[in-house]
This record gives sequence, structure tokens and C-alpha cells, in this order.
Amino acid sequence: MNLHLSSNKLVLIIFNLLILLFSTIALSDEAIDDKVKKITSNLRCMTCQNQTIYDSDADFSKNIRQIVRQKLIDNQSEKEIINFLVARYSEYIVFTPQFNRRNIFLWIFPFLIFALSFVFFIFRLKKNPTKQ
Amino acid sequence: MNKIFLFVPLILVMLISIFCLVFLLQGKDPSKPPSALLYKNLPDFDIINLFDDADVISNKDLKGRIMLINFFASWCSPCKVEHPLFFEIKKKYPNILLIGIDYKDKQEEAINYLNTMGNPYDYVGMDNKGLIGLELGVFGLPETFIVNSKGIITYKHLGPLTKKIITNEFAPFIQ
Amino acid sequence: MISLIGFSGLILSFIFNVIVIVSYYYKINQRFNHIFYLALYCSLFFMCLSFFALMFAYISSDFSNFNVFQNSHSSKPLLYKITGTWGNHEGSMLLWLLIMSLYNVFFSFNITLEDHVRKLTIVFQSFLYLCFSLFVILTSNPFLVNSIDSNEGLGLNPILQDPALAIHPPVLYIGYVGFSLILSLALAGLILNQLDNLWIQVIKRWAMFCWLMLTGGIALGSYWAYYELGWGGWWFWDPVENVSLMPWITGLALVHSLMITKQEQLLKRWVVFLSILCFSLSILGTFLVRSGILTSVHSFAADASRGIFILILFLTITGFSFIIFILKSPHSNKQINLLFINKTSALIINNIVMLIACITILLGTIYPIIIEVLTNKRMSVGAPYYNSTVLPILLPGFLIMSIAPMLSWQSNKLDKIKNYIYILIVISILTLLITYLTKFNIWGFTGTILGLWIIAASLLSILHNCLKYKFKKFFIYNNALIAHMGVGIMIIGITFSSIFQTKNNFTIQTGEIVNSGQYSLQLKNLKIEEKNNFQELLGIFLLHKKNEFLTTIKSSKRYYYVSKVITTEAGIYHDWFQDFYLVLGNEKNNKWSITIYHNPLVSFIWIGVMIMIFSGMVGIFKR
Repeated sequence: MNLHLSSNKLVLIIFNLLILLFSTIALSDEAIDDKVKKITSNLRCMTCQNQTIYDSDADFSKNIRQIVRQKLIDNQSEKEIINFLVARYSEYIVFTPQFNRRNIFLWIFPFLIFALSFVFFIFRLKKNPTKQ
Repeated sequence: MNKIFLFVPLILVMLISIFCLVFLLQGKDPSKPPSALLYKNLPDFDIINLFDDADVISNKDLKGRIMLINFFASWCSPCKVEHPLFFEIKKKYPNILLIGIDYKDKQEEAINYLNTMGNPYDYVGMDNKGLIGLELGVFGLPETFIVNSKGIITYKHLGPLTKKIITNEFAPFIQ
Repeated sequence: MISLIGFSGLILSFIFNVIVIVSYYYKINQRFNHIFYLALYCSLFFMCLSFFALMFAYISSDFSNFNVFQNSHSSKPLLYKITGTWGNHEGSMLLWLLIMSLYNVFFSFNITLEDHVRKLTIVFQSFLYLCFSLFVILTSNPFLVNSIDSNEGLGLNPILQDPALAIHPPVLYIGYVGFSLILSLALAGLILNQLDNLWIQVIKRWAMFCWLMLTGGIALGSYWAYYELGWGGWWFWDPVENVSLMPWITGLALVHSLMITKQEQLLKRWVVFLSILCFSLSILGTFLVRSGILTSVHSFAADASRGIFILILFLTITGFSFIIFILKSPHSNKQINLLFINKTSALIINNIVMLIACITILLGTIYPIIIEVLTNKRMSVGAPYYNSTVLPILLPGFLIMSIAPMLSWQSNKLDKIKNYIYILIVISILTLLITYLTKFNIWGFTGTILGLWIIAASLLSILHNCLKYKFKKFFIYNNALIAHMGVGIMIIGITFSSIFQTKNNFTIQTGEIVNSGQYSLQLKNLKIEEKNNFQELLGIFLLHKKNEFLTTIKSSKRYYYVSKVITTEAGIYHDWFQDFYLVLGNEKNNKWSITIYHNPLVSFIWIGVMIMIFSGMVGIFKR
């Protein structure tokens, strides 16, 4: 067996090992807290009125916060967690409208008219006889 | 060109009014969001019998019959209001399967509750951790689901049922 | 009895407004001139009678009135009995009518305008009054008689039992409803083709006044939200907040574009459009809030039939106005002095930016309605959406604000540009350094630097003006700059309080000390106090900063007996640069959960708003 490895390969292996190591190590407590905050402040407390799950003290919110935390500990990604909740509580639970075909108008329109009016403005400027 | 721009606000006003009018006329209630699971398959879950911890059934075994799943709890006061109506449903539609799920509750309190109020359900499941509730997106009791014989959720009601709702809204799903 | 007086007042006021309109059409005869004004004053008199009758019913806890029965309780303190008059849907609509009527009468004293323009404005205002009066009489009558004989009422929403929220509706309405007069003025000007200098001068003052009151009302509302909701913030992009923000933005655009019109005598079409838009958005907002079509923290009792009525009002009034606008719109003068950068084009860009921001908020607010109608799916458009659309759109506006003082009205030339550039560069480098050394956050950096630029440029400009004019007519030259400084201060406050806010949860026992940042907090004791209409669980905390005793903070939960609602009262310690914000949570095993927020520079927001209001006041009265 030839154990001779080129240095290139060695680096690659170490790199892979490192990735493996980091991906298996559970997130630290603080990192999880931050992520829970990030995710839950985008979620609606269904039993309150327009309050985020992060801010709310209701039972429902406590429950969901726990679920989110547990799922983070289980190494699920933010997207998976959001999808999990959306599948059960409908899109209503997320405060950020999802970026899909239905909401494309909502996301694009403001910037579109912004760009259009900018172009229009420049156009008017050019047409304008400059008088000094 | 400029003239066209003048019409934009008027058209917008019309559009906004039309949408709002339709929304109001459809009688939608902003405090009751439509369920995400409507017209989807009922998710699989196991239910532990409230009266017998050893008796566990999976809802897969129950397919083939129309099911009415009602989430209740002994601590929930609107549930008490709608409770007697299930006896009427039972009488009126004997072929449907009435499943009660005791949500986030203590076992003995729930048994007590059913003993005093009567038990209209064919099967009462226990969900003291709210896991089944989570699968079905339950957030405020009582909630009632109707599942057709193919296992698809066809109707969901949030809040206590009334006689009017049962006669007006249940009928097409139950028969 | 009192209900009968109130209702008669309402009806008589309605009739007198009809007389106002009718007598306008027989104006040829001089005698009708007197009748015109007499009827106008009479309508106000009876409106006042009606309003004070309701107020009296509240003060005397007259539960034979259904409205009082539903919304009041004899144990309530006198102040909240008085303010309870407008703390409910029916009463607040009566206040709406009163304010409309007041505007009409006060406007009739304005002698700057030519007689026929003034009269037509009054007629339109009366017409608007009739529309809303009809709404009150038919769907929201506050003078219904209680069918049950009761000695006690059902109580007022406890969340409304608060000084800031008690005066919030009148202030807000004076702004919100005031835009009706702006609409009337615009319509009268359009129809008579009299959009002249006088018209601009008059509409400018009234628009400024309305906008200021709206600013005050919104500020009061958000201050209330800050300490009463206990969520640590003061703006939540809640639909009801958005709804008041939309006319505020268009009002702001209107006030600014009136500035250009004064300088350039142009853009009249735009001004008229904005004038119509302001009140249209006010009505739309009222519709969205009162129909219960949106869920919100500030909810009113919802009723679909009312909703449909207001929707019809909205469609009629705005439809009519925009049709008049299309038919009679003044010919736009193409010779607008748009140079690459001068004050005019800066103001135009800012106007466009504001309008787009407003459209975005409108879109976000009604998009869920559209989607639900089309697909029967519920969705939310919340704070993250607005933060990532409205804020970037507003950025160029703020950027222009910071360079505006160096621009001139007439030419392309920049005035004393070197000084500005030096100062701006120094500020930028300093901010960059400081933020780099501490917590770097791109939004935090952008906000801070824009705020500082605006303040610095305004200050420098004030300085220039002072050197040039030697403090003569100080406010005439510097008023706008002072207002802009207020905006700069506010931007910094908003940036810091939203981005560098920290939140920590603790559990605490009596006597225990928790440390949070530089502060340490000790729970001294907890006590339960019985008040007239609520029971209060009061946590008394001692706050120390670096071992130095600062103050005692009280944070409490209130339980209102009658409505069985629990509210939180946050305990706030206002430092100059940071608010220490404490919310009392629930108990578990003798340990209380508390939430501590550090909100940096919140006070800057309120200071900024006050500066803006002050300078606006000066703007109204200066000549």
C-alpha cells in the first residue's frame, strides 16, 4: 500500500476532516440563542395580535420557541424549521412574505417604480434646457 | 401620455375598493386564518387512548370513514359550550367517526371532565404534549377538523361550534 | 334624556349643513349670505351640543345610553370617563365630526382667500361632513338607548386607560381629519380655477398645521406603545400604524412641494394631487381599521356593515375628487427649472421618494387582502418586509437631505461647498473609525452617518445664515434647517434604538441582584395594590449603575376587574443616552421572570420629533 500522499491531497483531507468536525459539533448555547432570536422574531404569535413569537409571552409562543430551539439542536437549518412551521400553520405565521411567484409583485414593485421614476426624472432633466 | 397618468389614481382607488368589498362580502374573519392543511392529507400520527395508556392506534388504521377530529381540553371554557353539540352530531350522522383529542391536559382531569360532561366521542386520544396538535397546526382551542374517507382534510373550524355552523357548513362534508 | 339631546344635536347639525349647501346655490341674494354663515355656526353649535351630551353621559355614568353602558364603568377615574368619550368606535366618530365642523368654522374666519373660493371650500367641507354624519347616524349612532336596565357598565378597554392614549385620538384626529379641509380647498381651487398664490399661501398653513398635529398624534401613539405594550419597541409596522403613517408621508410631501410652488410657481398639479391623496388615505385608513379587515394591536370593534359603508364613502369621495382632478387639472407648465442639482430638483426627488415609500406601505398593507381574495390563503406582511423595502427607498431621500443646505434655488452652483465637504468627510471618517472599533453593523453605520450628515450640514448652514444676516429674521432663514436637524437627530435615535437594542431574560427572587450591562438590578419587594378599577402587582426594583444607586423602578402588571384583562406597565429609566426598560413577567417557584431591554438613544427620537413640531409651529406663524 502506498502511503505516500501528495501535500495537496493532505491539505484536502485535513480540510474535509475539519468540515466534518465543525458540522458535527453542536452549536454553542449562545449561537443557538441568537438563532432562536433571529428565527422567532420573524414568526407571528398566532394567538396574539401582531406580536412576534420572540416578543410574546403567550403559551403558544413559548411552545414554538422550544420547538425551534430543539430543532436547532437537532441541527436543522433555518429554512427547514420555517418550512416545517409554514406547512402546519400556513404562511400566515411568517412575517416576511416568502419569495415565491405569488409574492414576486410585492417584492419587486417598490423597487421597480423607484427605478422607473428615476429614469423618468433623468429623462426630464435631459429634455430641460439648461439655463445658467 | 400625461393624460394617462391622471387616470392611475382613480383606477387604483377602484381596484382597492373592489378587493376590499369582495373580502368583506365573503364574510372572511381576520382573526381566523384558513388552515394550511386544508385539502391536504391528514398527517400520520399515533394516538394513545385517554382511558387506557396501553391502547395506541395510528390514524392510518382509521382511514375509510369520515372523521371528525375535535381538539378539546378540560381547561378550555369555550370547549364546554360546544360539547353538547357533539351528542347531536352523533345522533344526526351516526356513520361518522368522532375523535376527540385531549390537548395539553392532565389525564385525570380530562377523564373527570368527560365523566361529568358525558363522552360523545368514539375514541378519545391523549395529546398532553401537544404533538398531534402541532402536526395539525392547532393553536387555539377548540379546533375541529373534518377528514373525508380518503384521508383528506376538507374542513376546519376555529373556535366553538354552533348549531348554525353545523347545519350550514358541515353538511356538504359529512354526507 | 341626554341621549335624546345628543341625537337631536347630531340631526340638527346635519340639517344645518344641508342649509349651508343649499344657501350657497342661492347666493345671488345678499340675504342668503348671512344664512350661509349662520347655518355654518349653528351646525357647529349643535355638533358641540351633541358631543358634550355624550361626554356628559360618560361623566355622569348614564348607563341608559348603550354606548356608555358598553364602554364605561362607574369605578373609572374621572379623566378616563371623559376620554372614554372617544375611546370607542361611535364616540371617536363623533369626535371626527366635531373636528370636521370646527375646521369648517375656523376656516370661514380666514379672510385671505377670495370670497367665492372660501365659500366653495366651506360647501365641500360641509358635503364631506354630511357624508360622515350619515355614516354616524346610520351605522354608528352613539346615542342608542340601552334596552337593559343596568346600574353598571361593561368597562373601557384597560389598555386605553392611560394618559398618553387618552389624548392621542384627539391630536391624531385633528391631523387626520384636518386633511378633509385640504381636500375641500383643493377641490374648490380646481373647480374655480383659482390655484393662485393666495390659495397656495392658505393651503400651506392649513396643511402644515394638520401635518404637525398628525406628527404629534403618531408620536404620542408610539410613545404609548413603547411603555405600555412592554415589547421594548415603539414602532411595529402594525397595520394601524401604517395606516396613520401613509397620510403622514403624503402630508409631508405636500408641505414640501408647497415650498417649491412658492419658489417656482409650478407643480400645481402635483400639489393638488397630494392634497386629494392625503384625505383619501385618511379615509382608506379609517376603513381598514374600523371594518376589522386587518388584525392589529390597536383594534376597534369590527363590523362588516360599517366597513362597507366607509368603503362606499371612500369610493365616492376619492372617486369624485380624482374625476374632478382629471377634468379640471391645471395645465402643467413645462418650464420647470430642473437643473441637475438645485433645491427644486432635490425637493422633487424627495417628493417622489416619499410617494414611493407611501405606495410601498400601502401595497404591503393591502396585499394580504388581495391574496386572500384571490387564493383563499392567509399571509403576513410584517416588519421585515417594510424594513427591507421602505428603508432602502428612503435612503436617497435622506442623502439628499444632507446635501440640501448647500444647494441653491436658482442655479446649479453649489454654495460654499468646500466647508460642507470638509465637515462631511471628517464626520464620515470619525464614524467609520468608531463603528469599526466597536460593533460594526452596516445599517447602524448608514443610519448614523446620514443622521450626522444632516445635522452637520444644517448646523453649518444655520451658521452661514447667522454670519450673513446677523440673526435678523433668524427663524425665517433657518426654520427649515432646524426642522431638518430634528430629522437628523431622530434618524440617529431610530437607528440606535432599533439596531443596538439588547434584550435579556432573567429570573429573580426578592432581594436577588442581577447584572445586565453596566447596570445591576435588585428586586426590593413585590406588592399587590388594590386600586379602584384594577389590581396591580407592583415589582419595586433598585437600579444601580457601577455600584452607584440610580433610582427605584416600578414595573407592574395590572388586572382590570371589569374587563378581566391583564396589562403590563414597563418600568423605564430614561438616561440621556440609554433607556433601561424593564418588563415584569410571570412567576414560577417564587422566581419572577423579568425582561430587560437596553434601548440606546431612544430619547433622541422624541427630541427630534419635538424639534420638528416646534419648527413647524414657527413655520405656521412666521410671516
